[in-house]
Amino acid sequence: MISICVKDLNKRYRARDGDVAALADVDIDIAEGEFVTIVGPSGCGKSTLLYILGGFIGADGGIIEINGKAVTGPGVDRGVVFQEYALFPWLTVAQNIRYGLEMSGAPRQRCEETVERLVRTIGLQGFEHRFPRELSGGMKQRVAIARTLAYDPKILLLDEPFGALDAQTREVMQDELLGLWQATRKTVMMVTHDVNEAVYLSERVLVMSQRPGRIVQEFKVAIDRTCEREVTVLNEDFNQLRNEVWLAVRRQAGARSV
Amino acid sequence: MKSMSGVPGMWLRSGAGWDSLRAAWHYLPIAIVLLVWQVVVEFDLVNRAFLPSFGETLSALWEMTRNGEIGFNLLVSLYRAFAGLAIGSIIGVAIGLAMATSRRADEFFGPLVATTYSLPKSSLVPLFILWFGIGDVASIVSVVLACLLPVIVSTYHGVQSVPPVIVWSARAMGTPHHLIMWRILLPSSLLSIFTGVRIALGFCFVLTISVEMIAAKTGIGKLIFLYGENGAYAYMFGGLFAIVVVAYAADRILLVAMNYLLRWDDSIHAAHVGD
Repeated sequence: MISICVKDLNKRYRARDGDVAALADVDIDIAEGEFVTIVGPSGCGKSTLLYILGGFIGADGGIIEINGKAVTGPGVDRGVVFQEYALFPWLTVAQNIRYGLEMSGAPRQRCEETVERLVRTIGLQGFEHRFPRELSGGMKQRVAIARTLAYDPKILLLDEPFGALDAQTREVMQDELLGLWQATRKTVMMVTHDVNEAVYLSERVLVMSQRPGRIVQEFKVAIDRTCEREVTVLNEDFNQLRNEVWLAVRRQAGARSV
Repeated sequence: MKSMSGVPGMWLRSGAGWDSLRAAWHYLPIAIVLLVWQVVVEFDLVNRAFLPSFGETLSALWEMTRNGEIGFNLLVSLYRAFAGLAIGSIIGVAIGLAMATSRRADEFFGPLVATTYSLPKSSLVPLFILWFGIGDVASIVSVVLACLLPVIVSTYHGVQSVPPVIVWSARAMGTPHHLIMWRILLPSSLLSIFTGVRIALGFCFVLTISVEMIAAKTGIGKLIFLYGENGAYAYMFGGLFAIVVVAYAADRILLVAMNYLLRWDDSIHAAHVGD
C-alpha cells in the first residue's frame, strides 16, 4: 500500500526579483513501512518538500497524499523531527514527551506509562525533569524522537535529524533509529545531505537536483541490516553503492556552476 | 576568617569573602551619593533650609512611619500603582498577542500604538481629572495607559520572534489552533513580556506619584507634594525615600519571579539578568 504519494509537485517562493522555483515536478511514492531518504545539495528544496508533506507550507500545484488523503495541514498521522529538534524549552523532558499524547486527550495513566517507557527506551532515566537547555545535543535529539513516537504516528518525517550532532553521537543515533524502524516498521521519509547516512539507513535513496529540486536518480539499497555496523560499512557492496550515490549528488552540486 | 589566615590567597578565592566584596562594589555608588549628600549639608555648601541632611530625612521618615502616615499613604499608592500595572499588563499582553497573530488586529491597533508610543501619558492627566474626578480612578487610568504600551510592544516582538518550527512542531503534535496561543506563543515569548512588564513597573510608580501630586487627596505623591509646599523638606525627602525603597524592592521581587519562571530559558542565564 502506498503511504506517501507525491505527483507533479511544484513550489515557488516569492522573492524581491520575481518568483524562485524551489521544487519542479517532484514525483515520489513511498510504500507503507518503507524507509526512503532524499539526498541533495544544500538549497535544493529537500527540506521544503518535507515541510509540504508535513502540511506546514502549501504547494503550488500537484498532488500530495498521505494514505490516500490529500494533505491540507499538519496532522498527527505524520510525526516530524526537525533539524534543530524544536523541543519546547519551557517544558521538561517528560513534559515534552507527553505533550502530543496530552493533546490527543489520552488518559493520564496512559500518558505516564508511555513517558516512562520512552524515557527508558532513550536511556534518559534521571533526566525526566531536566529542561532541554540542560541536555546535550544527542539527548535533545533522543527526546525529539521520543516525543514524536509517543503519539504513535504511522509516518515519520525526519529533517536532517542528525545534522547538528558530532560524528560519534551521530553513528549511535543512526543505529538507534535503525533499530527503532526495524522494531516498529513505520514509514520513514528522511532528508539529509549525508550520503553515508542515507545509504546506511534507508531502503531507497532518492537524489535531488539543484534548485528547482527534482528527483533525478534513484538507488535501491539491498544490504543486510541485521549485521553490526562494522560489517555493513566495511562491506564491498555498501561502499560501491555509497560511492555511486556520492557521485550522483556531487554531479548535482556541481551543476550550479554550469 | 581566622582559619584561613594561614593560607595566602585563600581569602580571594573563598566564596563568602569574594561575594561580599562584589556586593560592596555593587552598592558603592549609592553609598557615595549618600556620603556626598551628608557632606554637602554638614559643611553648609547648600542652604540647610532647602536640603535636609540624610540623618534628618531618616528621622523624619521614622516619625512618619511611627504615626502611620507613611504606611497608610504607601498602601494607597501601591494599590493604585499595582492595580494599574496589573490591568495595563493584562490588556497589553492581550493586545500584543492579537496584533502579532492577526493582521487585522495589527492594522487596527498598529497606528494607534505607533502614534501614542512617545506621548507622555502624564500630559493626559488633566483630562482624566475632568472625566474621573480626583482620586483612585484618575490615577489608575493614567497608570494603565502608561503600562499598556511597553507591554504591547514587547509582547508583539516576543510573539513575532517565536521560531516557526516551534509552532510547526506544536501543530504536528495535534495542538488545535485555539491552544497555540496559550500553550506555545505565550510561554515562548515570556522573557520578552517580562521585559515589558519590568519597564511598566517603573512607569507605574512615576505615574502614580505624579498624578497624586495634582489629582488626589491621599498617597505618597500627595504627601511629598504637601510637605514640599510647606517647606518641610526633611519630611518630603522622607516620603521620597520610602517610595524609592518600595519601588526598588518591587523590581527585585519581579526579577526573582522572572528568574524562577524563566529558569528554562538559555538567554536569561547568559545575560546575567538580576546579577
